[in-house]
Amino acid sequence: MTQFTRREFAGLAATAVAAPFALAPARVHAAAALTARQLFDAIKAQIGVAWKDETVDGIKAGEPGTAVTGIVTTALPTLDVLRQAAKAGANVVIASQPAFYSKADTRTPPVPRPPGPPLPAGAAPPPSPPPGPPDPVFNAKNAFIDEHKLVLIRLSDHWRARTADPMATGFAEALGWTKHQVAGNPRRYEVPALTVEALVAALGKTLDVNGGLRIVGDPKTSVTTIGLLPGSTPIQAALEMLPGVDAIVAGEVREWESVEYVRDQVASGAKKALILVGRIASEEPGMIACAEWLKTVAPGLPIRHIAAGDPYWRPGR
Amino acid sequence: MKGGAMKAGEIIDRIKAHLGVAWRDSTYRDTFKSGGPDTEITGIATTCFATLDVVRRATAKGLNLIIPHEDTFWNDRDDVATVEKDSLYAQKRALLTAKNVAVFRIHDHMHAQRPDFTFVGSARAVGLDPKFEDPPGSHRFVVPETTLAALAADVQQRTGSKGMRVVGNPKAKITRVRLGVGYASPPINAADVDVLISGEQQESDGTFDSQPYAIDAASVGVPKGLILLGHTVSEEAGMLEMAQWIKGFVPEVPVELVTGGEPMWGPAPPR
Repeated sequence: MTQFTRREFAGLAATAVAAPFALAPARVHAAAALTARQLFDAIKAQIGVAWKDETVDGIKAGEPGTAVTGIVTTALPTLDVLRQAAKAGANVVIASQPAFYSKADTRTPPVPRPPGPPLPAGAAPPPSPPPGPPDPVFNAKNAFIDEHKLVLIRLSDHWRARTADPMATGFAEALGWTKHQVAGNPRRYEVPALTVEALVAALGKTLDVNGGLRIVGDPKTSVTTIGLLPGSTPIQAALEMLPGVDAIVAGEVREWESVEYVRDQVASGAKKALILVGRIASEEPGMIACAEWLKTVAPGLPIRHIAAGDPYWRPGR
Repeated sequence: MKGGAMKAGEIIDRIKAHLGVAWRDSTYRDTFKSGGPDTEITGIATTCFATLDVVRRATAKGLNLIIPHEDTFWNDRDDVATVEKDSLYAQKRALLTAKNVAVFRIHDHMHAQRPDFTFVGSARAVGLDPKFEDPPGSHRFVVPETTLAALAADVQQRTGSKGMRVVGNPKAKITRVRLGVGYASPPINAADVDVLISGEQQESDGTFDSQPYAIDAASVGVPKGLILLGHTVSEEAGMLEMAQWIKGFVPEVPVELVTGGEPMWGPAPPR
């Protein structure tokens, strides 16, 4: 799979303005009949995982009857990613994370309602608090989606449930580690020994992250067996993985769990490390893999990945 | 006072009596994680996490009642079944037993107490002057207008943090700062908040995803910033206030803060 840095992607997107996806006209015409609803149904039918009754996956914004002109995958559908997608002629964005800033992923901001005492039986509920002022960020995102007639789809639960875990294999592929995979385990890799520091530099370069990188462990520790935990993972995942690896590369963990566990491991003398790259950044390679897979679901449609970029920066010191 | 004359239970009873709020026995957090009421105490250490290193340094000073704000065995409930198969659990437990350490967590009641020392300590650590807190005790500060970059740089210098992270446009002009602690971060889309300074915050797919919101806010020119200190940098400072408070009613044994410090580092930003 071809890998791109964020800068190269920006270049690609700019090229695409002049020649959107540069596809043969006949194929574009044939594909134009596919609606977003049909695309989503095809995804459901072909993903290879039984569709769950309760899921975050679905069409989150836009008209399902919209004819698909192009698809962009991303970890996080930021306004900037939507702009790049629209500029490149794509009108469907498929993301692993929510578009509207919560698991609920609704187009209006949640209104906070303080919990009150239980109501006596038969009592009328208290009036709702007045709605807050309009939220300029929700408004801007909604306006952009409407103006450009975009359709936003979330594909998370079912994508990551596939065998082998495409979030892990995609991550390894981005790093050029596919050939180093420990047989039968898409989350474990035996790579030529390198220091934690060198691994961090390689991750920073491949994922185009800096501010989001955080590490527990000695920069000079040499590591060779690496475990991958993209996304967000609980302590159970670290407990299960760490004994068999030198370092875990994860997206996001809870600090009071895995961070403190690895800190104690290091204090006990174990030559171990935990490298956090950020939840969103950790899922971009898996969404590159998703773009590749979608080409088999919707052949002929222009499909590409656009990275949301590192959310974080760090002041100089 | 000679060691051995004070029991952990007496100290905890005094803490409960001085709290100013009723003790809730239903808490699973604020309980003994090692030792018990009968453990004989020679000194008290407060800290954010009773890490292996904190246990070693505290006991080297003769402090064998450790009062952490957070969990000891890497899960919020300190559920032993979750971790007991891991050899590090056995090792940590053995150290605590060998050094006759009692660990009593104070989390829920610390946040219920007024003032909540975690906020007092965090405001001090990041340089939020109480004179700017409006109204007092609200954790809302109106500071002289500055930029997100300047505020973040100041916070970095004061805390010495090597792992703190910032989201938002560095040039955003900001004045209204909301302080959160630990994992309890109010949503960044509140109309009366420009910047949230807190500990850690789930990045996405939660009740409210402040990081993604701040990214989009930056791209439409709405001044919003998030300064994430990390859990320990956010909440350990207030354990100094906790130590000083306990000292006031437990004069018999030494009481001090033993810091665990920041667990993570990040590469230096590109120049």
